[in-house]
Amino acid sequence: MILSAPSWVELTLLLPLLGAVVVYFLKLPAVAANASLGFFITTLLTATVATWSFAGKKIPALMHFAVDDLAAPMLPVLVLLHLLTLLGTAKSRVSPMFCVRLLIANFISLAAVTCQTPWMLIALLLLGVLLPLWDLVSRGQRVRGYLIHMGLFVVLLVTGWQFAGQEIGYGLLLIALLLRGGIVPLHGWLPTLFQGAAYGTAMVFVLPLIEVLAALRLLLPSTPEWMLNAASVACLITAVYGGGMAIVQSEVRKFFAHVCLSQTALVMFAVMLHTSNGLTAALCLWISSSLSLAGLAFSVRALEARFGPLSLPEHHGLYQQVPGLAVCFLFTGLASVGFPGTIGFVPMELLLSGSADQGLWVSGTLAIAAMFNGIAILRAYFALFTGKRPTTSVSLQMTPVERFSVILIALTVFLGGWFSPGLVASRHHTADQLLERAGPGATKK
Amino acid sequence: MNETMTDPAQLLTTLGLIIVAMPVLLVAMFFGAFLINRHPGEQKISFCIQFAIGVSLLAAASAAATMLWHRVAQHPIELGDWVITPHYHLKFEFVLDLLSLSYVTLTLVLCAVIGAFSTRYLHRERGYERFFVLFALFLLGMVTTSLSDTVETLFAGWEMVGLSSVLLIAFFQERPSPPRNGLRVWIVYRVCDVALMLAAILMHEINGAGDFDHLVGNSAWPAHDPLLIGPHFTLLGVLFVIAAAGKSALVPFCGWLPRAMEGPTPSSAVFYGALSVHLGAFLLLRVSPVLDSSIWLQIAVVVLGVTTSAFAYLSGRVQSDIKSALAFASLTQVGIIIAEIGLGFRYLALLHLLGHACLRTLQFLRAPSLLHDHHQLENAIGSRPHEEGVMWEQKLPPATQRWLYRFALERGYLDSILEKGIARPFVRLFRGLDALETKWAKWLDGEPQAEKAPRNLQ
Repeated sequence: MILSAPSWVELTLLLPLLGAVVVYFLKLPAVAANASLGFFITTLLTATVATWSFAGKKIPALMHFAVDDLAAPMLPVLVLLHLLTLLGTAKSRVSPMFCVRLLIANFISLAAVTCQTPWMLIALLLLGVLLPLWDLVSRGQRVRGYLIHMGLFVVLLVTGWQFAGQEIGYGLLLIALLLRGGIVPLHGWLPTLFQGAAYGTAMVFVLPLIEVLAALRLLLPSTPEWMLNAASVACLITAVYGGGMAIVQSEVRKFFAHVCLSQTALVMFAVMLHTSNGLTAALCLWISSSLSLAGLAFSVRALEARFGPLSLPEHHGLYQQVPGLAVCFLFTGLASVGFPGTIGFVPMELLLSGSADQGLWVSGTLAIAAMFNGIAILRAYFALFTGKRPTTSVSLQMTPVERFSVILIALTVFLGGWFSPGLVASRHHTADQLLERAGPGATKK
Repeated sequence: MNETMTDPAQLLTTLGLIIVAMPVLLVAMFFGAFLINRHPGEQKISFCIQFAIGVSLLAAASAAATMLWHRVAQHPIELGDWVITPHYHLKFEFVLDLLSLSYVTLTLVLCAVIGAFSTRYLHRERGYERFFVLFALFLLGMVTTSLSDTVETLFAGWEMVGLSSVLLIAFFQERPSPPRNGLRVWIVYRVCDVALMLAAILMHEINGAGDFDHLVGNSAWPAHDPLLIGPHFTLLGVLFVIAAAGKSALVPFCGWLPRAMEGPTPSSAVFYGALSVHLGAFLLLRVSPVLDSSIWLQIAVVVLGVTTSAFAYLSGRVQSDIKSALAFASLTQVGIIIAEIGLGFRYLALLHLLGHACLRTLQFLRAPSLLHDHHQLENAIGSRPHEEGVMWEQKLPPATQRWLYRFALERGYLDSILEKGIARPFVRLFRGLDALETKWAKWLDGEPQAEKAPRNLQ
């Protein structure tokens, strides 16, 4: 029996939720991991079919959910991101509860991206905040900093929505989303989350860049221009700050957190440009950054699973042990900064040219942020993979599952670069639709 | 059918695509084999390299012959519009003309020589496979840059050359200094790439596209149709000069050149003796009409070239290892080539570049057997060879000689100026911010602050 397009969307939304319920009742970690893997692979297939069946016309699904231009390409991207998180987790670290959290996180991100009503989106954003909290508490970590930040986020989001349609409401919503995106100086929670929570939990909270979606859905129609301009300056500063901080970090996790900070700021900056070029760049960067950073995080997690927490000031010489992970680290890291031939190249070019309307100094600042990130990536690569080889009595080569994941990442990162023209055309169309929703007066070059 | 076969335009397009396709296939094959954990043996790698370069070289020679035969001065090869929106146009396009074909032929000839040399030089070396993967990436980058007709295509090749160079500098990765030096080179490359990125944006702002022919007209290199006058062209020229200065190790970015000698000799030869170090000069030749937009820009280019040349000559005189001495000798000539470009002698600069690259490759390849060569020479003539040269510095006052010696030994203090003036303040600033951030996060988390150590223990 061939399912209709709405049914594929509904399956995509419900499978992770069903998976979370099933896995909750499983006691053995290995069984839970295998079951989760099955659910993720099935969801990836259904999400791909749902995206494939999208032909420019909104596909309605359950209640408030539907697949539109914005959501269509994001469905497989989000499932892939969660799948890679699971594949990158060492067997010894997988617990049934971790799998449950991962499946719920996938459901929340898929639901958020397909959600068509603002209040439901806000509810999902609030729900998403609870997962890292659950993880932090279960690991006995300090949560006060996270609670303060996310408490403020919740208050600003809810209050902002109460005053929706007024300038104050948009202002509060904007600050809330900047806080969720870790824009300086509201970024204090992000590096500590990566240090305190499970790496996987932090990844799936940060990398889907749900704040970008929320900004597109909640803010863009009518937020005053001066507010967006002010926010874009904050994003620009954060992009440079994150890149600079990533260069001087001495721990891998903090390095990754700051690279994420910088990349998120670049995407948010593109959104705040609220121009056709800027939004096209934002939508393309959203996909490329999520995927390339997920690949980078995958290699970091696989390294940590073998060697424990790694520091950057000394050289670890891991290339000889795990050359596959070294290459994965390098090409995903470079893809995130827009290296030619990778998925990040065209979006980065679009962003730089899209920002030229604001002045050459803005493009220059963005190029400096990309330069900092590029330097940070190669510095970390040299620190981790060059140097004298450690001797181990057992082989630390990649497992077949990890090799499969690296091939999957490589295909995504490189083939994504080749298929960019089609992607850009569809994202440009979506960007124009978003701006039209804002009215003809808001459409700029 | 016959018309199609004899159509020179179609034939040139096919040949141009073959030139590029072979390195692409080579990189894809090596990378694919690595991903599926297959390790082709030395012989297979060597065959693949020679075959790919051979086919590309044959295509380049055929393209040159076809252009000469049919009197075609230039032939663009469009790969279609990569991105086309009403406000942005990104196109990948190649061009066959005197400049691109000369440089791509030089690249392929030298890469064929170095490839053949390396298969023996690196025989049973642990990183044999890694070397050739990076070598293939370098080849792809060089071919892409040489044939580029849009700034985006050039940038793509430019970046590939940069990355492969840096990873080859860090080739002997078990020692700490090669990766450290590789990182330094990468930093200089990235800083100068910012200028190239901005130049690309400015080109889009001026012409709405990154095509070089939009900028310089449809005439074949080095002629150009429109007269480019205006401050934006001068700014564009300055950005191109900065990008070229980084890649060609011109003053003040020349500190990385001796550091780059950490890599294996074949890579030093092909990168810093022949091809990569001339890439800046190639860029300036490609955009030479932009340099003509301002007399001040031309003067600046000449001054930059002469300064680099003088600096490299002085530094080269005090080097104690052959590779560094050759690197500075190479830079001396690159400086002169840059000055020639600034003076408007485009053909001379191109000829100088081609000849110099070939000579320097030969010298680099003979460098490991220098002592052996000297012994053979001494045996042949029966005595030590008589050293010749003008020691003009001996005519200077002793104090000036000492100052010049120290200046040359410290490589003009450029490295320490950049380190003390830029790198250290940068690191200090961000480490300070990091400490503040950590303190703030701990305070928010309610973590107890670490007690201060007693003053006498600090």
